[in-house]
Amino acid sequence: MGTKNSRLIIKIVSIVILTIASFLTLYPVLFVISAAFSPLPTSVISSPIPFSDGFSTRQFNDLFFDSNFTNWFRNTFIIACGSCVSTVAICTLTAYVFSRFKFMFKKGMMMAMLILQIFPSFVGMFAIYVVILRIDAYDQLWGLVLIYTAGNVPYNTWLIKSYLDTIPKSLDEAARIDGANHLKIFLRVIMPMAKPMVVFLGITSFTGPWMDYIYPKVILGSDEKQTLALGLIKFIDGTANKFTLFAAGAVLVSVPFIILFVLGQSSMVTGLGAGAVKE
Amino acid sequence: MNTSLKMDGSSKKQVLLSACIFMGLSHIIYLKQYIKGAIFALIEIIMIVNSPSLFTKIKDMIEISRWWKGISPAYFRLIDGIIALCVLAIFIVAYVVSIKSAVSSYNDFCLEGRVKSQKESMQGAVGKAFPIFGLTPAFILIVFFVIVPLLFSVVTGFTNWDEMDGHSSPGAPVNWVGFKNFADMFGGDSSWTSAFGRVAVWTVIWGAMATITCYFGGMVLATLLYEAKLKVTPVFRAILILPYAIPSILTVKVWQYMLNGSTGVINNALKDLHLISESVPWMTDKTIVKFVCIGVNMWVGIPYFMLLITGQMTAISADIYEAAEIDGANKLQVFSNITLPLVIYQTAPLIIMSFTHNINNFGAIYFLTGGDPKVTDTTSTSAGATDLLITWIYKLTMDQKRYCRGSVLAMLVFIVLAPFAIWNFKNTKSYKEGEL
Repeated sequence: MGTKNSRLIIKIVSIVILTIASFLTLYPVLFVISAAFSPLPTSVISSPIPFSDGFSTRQFNDLFFDSNFTNWFRNTFIIACGSCVSTVAICTLTAYVFSRFKFMFKKGMMMAMLILQIFPSFVGMFAIYVVILRIDAYDQLWGLVLIYTAGNVPYNTWLIKSYLDTIPKSLDEAARIDGANHLKIFLRVIMPMAKPMVVFLGITSFTGPWMDYIYPKVILGSDEKQTLALGLIKFIDGTANKFTLFAAGAVLVSVPFIILFVLGQSSMVTGLGAGAVKE
Repeated sequence: MNTSLKMDGSSKKQVLLSACIFMGLSHIIYLKQYIKGAIFALIEIIMIVNSPSLFTKIKDMIEISRWWKGISPAYFRLIDGIIALCVLAIFIVAYVVSIKSAVSSYNDFCLEGRVKSQKESMQGAVGKAFPIFGLTPAFILIVFFVIVPLLFSVVTGFTNWDEMDGHSSPGAPVNWVGFKNFADMFGGDSSWTSAFGRVAVWTVIWGAMATITCYFGGMVLATLLYEAKLKVTPVFRAILILPYAIPSILTVKVWQYMLNGSTGVINNALKDLHLISESVPWMTDKTIVKFVCIGVNMWVGIPYFMLLITGQMTAISADIYEAAEIDGANKLQVFSNITLPLVIYQTAPLIIMSFTHNINNFGAIYFLTGGDPKVTDTTSTSAGATDLLITWIYKLTMDQKRYCRGSVLAMLVFIVLAPFAIWNFKNTKSYKEGEL
């Protein structure tokens, strides 16, 4: 009898705690969604009860027709695609070389990359800004692509290289006997085998730039070169008080993220597993 | 001149000497590898032709306080000088490579008794050229966007540079000041020293608290989800994992809005519930705001640990539980003696990883409080009550343009965190499984 009672108490306590945690988790989310669908003109939302102001889609209307939202979206999309493609291309090629070739200073270069990836990259941000000025990439989307790609290279090269090390070298040999050169072996043999890691790399390097704020703020100056993160934050920064517009934009940005998270879960597990602490 | 080589290794001196005199020389005259030698020689010729401008750039950097009309601004001179130094370093490495290659070719010659034919050595060269071709893009990117910025930050720490453009005029030249900036941080200048101490202490407290709260929060939720075995568990899990999928910059900004002292909905809600009569100064009280930072970070960070710990719990093999049951352990004993120690053992390294992440967690602070509220020394040092070292660095360089102070802090952060980070990385699967 006693154990049954205590089990019931444990169950009730669990439900209470989980309900409170769920409420705390959901409340900000509901609050943003209700602000996004608020019928009020852009102003302060003061009622703590979601949807108490009513329901309309005017915020989205304002977002698409009265702000540069589509423009920000396009810029961010271009940067994300550029960073994704160049990261995948450069990291896989570099990892292939490190995995399959022997050359002078190889060990030193690998160690250097290991140490460089420690350095939080935006500590050297001002210097990056000067480099960007020097190569005339200020206010250019490709400048950002270069920065993101360079930031991705050290860590991801290690990640991919250790994955490539697990692909048997006999496959390369077989292809070489068939007359394939290094580039062909890389593209036709290694890349297909490394697909799970390449997908992971693609997803992380694509999603990385979406909500990055600091680099675009430093590198992009003009109005037509703004990104989503810059634009959305500008709605609520300082004197601008357009929280409802911010909320609408935040909802629009978050939905694809959540979908990608659900869809990409399996390959995320592969990649996170490889990067995670050993078991 | 006799250009034939002796096989017994006695010509090593000749080969080494000629290789040292000019890149590729020994390849051409002794080893008969004309193409390879020509490429090496070409590198040296290009280098010699460009060396005057290279050395001017380095000289301009060293004599940074000199100014005349039309000279490029100090930051360009610094960056050019550093790039010139990098080019010089790369050239020296190439030189070493050429000498090593000549010696190894000679060793091959001694073993095989003949100089490799042109065709053979070219075949080898094509194979060896692939790594060069493959590494070049990554190499260039890393040099320009990682190494040069790194050196640049280090170098600025030893100057008195604290304005973007002021120093392109003769009035206030940038100059080298040695370790003055370091000395100011460590006792030389009382307001900077106290600000540095305050920020450093808060950074460590923040890093520890943010990590511990998220870890134990995640542990509690994961345990409840795992042990309670409710019908609605999947629903709870789906809700609780949600923050992990939403970009954190957005959620942090939403919390900032909700916590606003005068208009925020949280104060309104608490007033409506008659829990408080006065608004709580969530964001403006020096002490409360620190708890707010840690609390909001919990909302963002708990789901990650929950996910991870749940994964570890489900991975524990059923055999262990069965054995415990046979030994007559009750549920509580099983949990505290088996599940908990195993999970803690598996996830302990992640606690340290998360600690280093939180120390540098720019977004969690900058987007929530911006480092505010202000304290007494904020006007002179720009460090607010919740500023971490990393947000302070950002403010010093990007807002205040006090580059020299910012880079001193950046170096300190790097020196302190590097051992942690190396330790972390050495524990990852990809490091352990991959060979160097």
